[in-house]
Amino acid sequence: MKVAEDALLEVDNLRTQFDTPGGLLTAVDGVSFSLSKGKSLGVVGESGSGKSVMSRSIMRLLPKVNIQTEGTVRFKSRNLMELAPRDLRKLWGPEMAMIFQDPLGSLNPVVKVGKQVAEGLRVHSGFSKKEARSEALKLLREVGISEPERRLDEYPHQFSGGMRQRIVIAIALACQPDLLIADEPTTALDVTVQAQILDLIEEQRNQRNMSLILVTHDLGVVAGRTDEIMVMYAGRIVERAPTKVLFANMKMPYTEALLESIPKLERPSHSHLLSIPGQPPNMIDAPRGCKFAPRCKYVQDRCVEEEPELISAATPGHLYRCFFPVGSAESADALARNMANGKVDESGSRVHIRT
Amino acid sequence: MAGSGNLHLREQEKPLLRVEDLVVNFLSAGGETVQAVSGFSIDVLEGETLGLVGESGCGKSTTARAIIQSPKPTAGSIQLDGVELTELDDEEMRRTRPILQMIFQDPISSLNPRRTIRDVVAEPLYVWWEEETGRLAIASWFEKTGNLFQKISSKFSRPARILAPLAWLSLIFWLVSEASDERSLETWLSWLKTPAQFIGFPVLFILAAMAAALSVVGAVWLVLAVILPFGVISGKFGSVTNTVGLTGLFTSLFAVVFLFFRTWSSLGGVAHWLSSGILLLAVGFLAVWSLLACREPSRAGSSALAVLVFMLFAIQVFYIVGLDGNTKLAVFSLSAAVDGILYWLIARRYKLARAQMRQRAEPEVKRVLEAVGMEVEGSLERKPHEFSGGQAQRISIARALILNPKVVICDEPVSALDVSVQAQILNLLEDMKAAYGLTLVFIAHDLAVVKNISDRVAVMYLGKICEVGPPELLYSAPQHPYTRLLIDAIPRPDPEFDQRNAVRIEGELPSPLAPPSGCRFRTRCPNVQAKCSTEEPQMKEVASGHYVACHYPADSELNQ
Repeated sequence: MKVAEDALLEVDNLRTQFDTPGGLLTAVDGVSFSLSKGKSLGVVGESGSGKSVMSRSIMRLLPKVNIQTEGTVRFKSRNLMELAPRDLRKLWGPEMAMIFQDPLGSLNPVVKVGKQVAEGLRVHSGFSKKEARSEALKLLREVGISEPERRLDEYPHQFSGGMRQRIVIAIALACQPDLLIADEPTTALDVTVQAQILDLIEEQRNQRNMSLILVTHDLGVVAGRTDEIMVMYAGRIVERAPTKVLFANMKMPYTEALLESIPKLERPSHSHLLSIPGQPPNMIDAPRGCKFAPRCKYVQDRCVEEEPELISAATPGHLYRCFFPVGSAESADALARNMANGKVDESGSRVHIRT
Repeated sequence: MAGSGNLHLREQEKPLLRVEDLVVNFLSAGGETVQAVSGFSIDVLEGETLGLVGESGCGKSTTARAIIQSPKPTAGSIQLDGVELTELDDEEMRRTRPILQMIFQDPISSLNPRRTIRDVVAEPLYVWWEEETGRLAIASWFEKTGNLFQKISSKFSRPARILAPLAWLSLIFWLVSEASDERSLETWLSWLKTPAQFIGFPVLFILAAMAAALSVVGAVWLVLAVILPFGVISGKFGSVTNTVGLTGLFTSLFAVVFLFFRTWSSLGGVAHWLSSGILLLAVGFLAVWSLLACREPSRAGSSALAVLVFMLFAIQVFYIVGLDGNTKLAVFSLSAAVDGILYWLIARRYKLARAQMRQRAEPEVKRVLEAVGMEVEGSLERKPHEFSGGQAQRISIARALILNPKVVICDEPVSALDVSVQAQILNLLEDMKAAYGLTLVFIAHDLAVVKNISDRVAVMYLGKICEVGPPELLYSAPQHPYTRLLIDAIPRPDPEFDQRNAVRIEGELPSPLAPPSGCRFRTRCPNVQAKCSTEEPQMKEVASGHYVACHYPADSELNQ
């Protein structure tokens, strides 16, 4: 893979496997990408597509017990996979930070939020107690918490969900990281609060020229906000493209299906949503061919036999993994054949075959 | 917004569900009143889907819970099919609930993790059949010896449940006074013994008299009142088999411990103290247990069996206490054996009853699981944690459907799900609505989701309605500034749509402890005027079927 000159993060052939009682589960399977300084990348996929495990693998947050991680993760030319835990700890905070889905779960319930925000500053930036407090005050104000003087001395349970997520963001931003990984930061929140939090992350990213990996299951969340989008399925990258290219000319049937399953305001009420039937495959004993084949409406015999490689589309920077890319003559033929043989119903949904 | 008025209620039509001026207040820990819902009115016609939208804390879930009367609303009227739900007593409400079902946000935690899917889905049926089946099981059990106990058990009512703990209390005093050996315990029990005689016996006598006055079977009642808790407990713990087993275990343990210390107590001193102490503790434990159990309504069926078991237990204990050393041992062994056989028979009888219910429910369970698109054969014996969120939500829907409800209230049923699964569940709800002729109340915070499924949408803010209308009008021409903001917050899967320029709602919901004066939305409203803080906007019609509670709705012609 061509490495960009100013790459901040380069992930090469990352593979994460869990040793489970049922066998070896491959959660992330050969993921490679790079992210430049100041750029943002949206990672999209359903639950179980490996996107969260991937972000934790990059951060090296996964425990070693029963988990094997292979491949390289280069951050500022250092291979994170080779770093000792004490060196990694120096990285978490000042260099790279992470925001998780559940803000209450990532805050300590018995420590005042001011202290939690200041903790990183005290440890990494060597601030005195007083300096750290005033910096924490500034941070809370920046992330939009009103009356920060008073709220510094409150505990996490005294904040609403949205406000808690703002605090988590303040903690993540405290030491000026170069890379922020946000793992479903808004999934537990209302749409109104979601919009506020996404705006906040966006605004802080621009101010600090920070790189961002935004992990979500909703294409709508990343659509107007990231430079590039990477769609994951069954632990693999199935499509990757600059945001506008992806929406204008998506190639992967899975991306199309994800987009179609979102209810749109423009559509009339009671319009049938094209859902993706079934579930992601079992990653202990994954099917042979294309991993999406059992749920794909364009599926052909070849898809079941042989797994497609990640290939380049005509547009630069656009990669996809499909034999019958959306919008091509082959896919139209394939769909027509499937409709004729009953694999796809008249509304264009794949008929779910229960296994 | 956040206005009042009932102009939007459709008086000329006959709605299936009609909520008028609903008020729900809670008492906060500080003793202040949380105004969760303040004057909410809506009506839902048969076969219609009402979408209820708003942020967390706007009172939409509270409204849903008030509709199912759990808890009962502070004020207002809720009519389901012409029946005023707020005036029903607990039992009548329980009998109404089959037609008014609910689906919750978190599918996994709304399913009992220890039950198989077969039982989870069939549970509503079991509840409705339990009285019947329980009675049947007991009837056949007692058929050979007459059905006296069944008759008695069906007479149990609230007075009996109140008498039970009182009777227990007097029993403690009585046992203590009887069990105490005058020679060695005289000194420390003298303070207890006198009140025991003075309080215990009169209480027993009064209870007997009260019981006699209350019912024709009064004399029997007193004994039953003491024994009843075991029947109540069997209802409380759900599994009758376990409770019967527990009673047996407890009986044996109690008898063994008591016997041991009574024998040892002939040595006198500390041992005697211990024996009396343990007796006191054991009886006290039973009393507390029964007190707790009495808070739950009795299930008549299981009571009768427990009555028999416990009567035997009580007789044994009193009998054994009065015997001398060797005879005591023999009688104890014999009675323990009799108990064991009896418990085993009873447990078997109940297992059979459960198995019968399972068998009877099977076609129904299969029907609903198939209807919601679950693979039936593989899932019946699995437990909720073995399913994904989407599948678990399907199971919740199946459970809601098994009693053939008329109205299903869906409280954020898709908020915890992935978009792809969300689409499956939304489609499924539409299909179920068509297949079963359901009327839905669909609650969500995402307007796009609500629009897709609803025939009519109501936007809520801080316990009041802002805007009501058909989804098309509400989205194409939102009149209330809050609706506008909610629409802008929806993530658009369109990179050309510049989310960064969308109007955002500022700040957080004001505290429902002290909602703003006038229009409740004024503190966050981009168009706020002086009038908004002094005068509460009333519902007014802006288009046919489209109502808004705002002094300055978007449509300028209406600005006066």
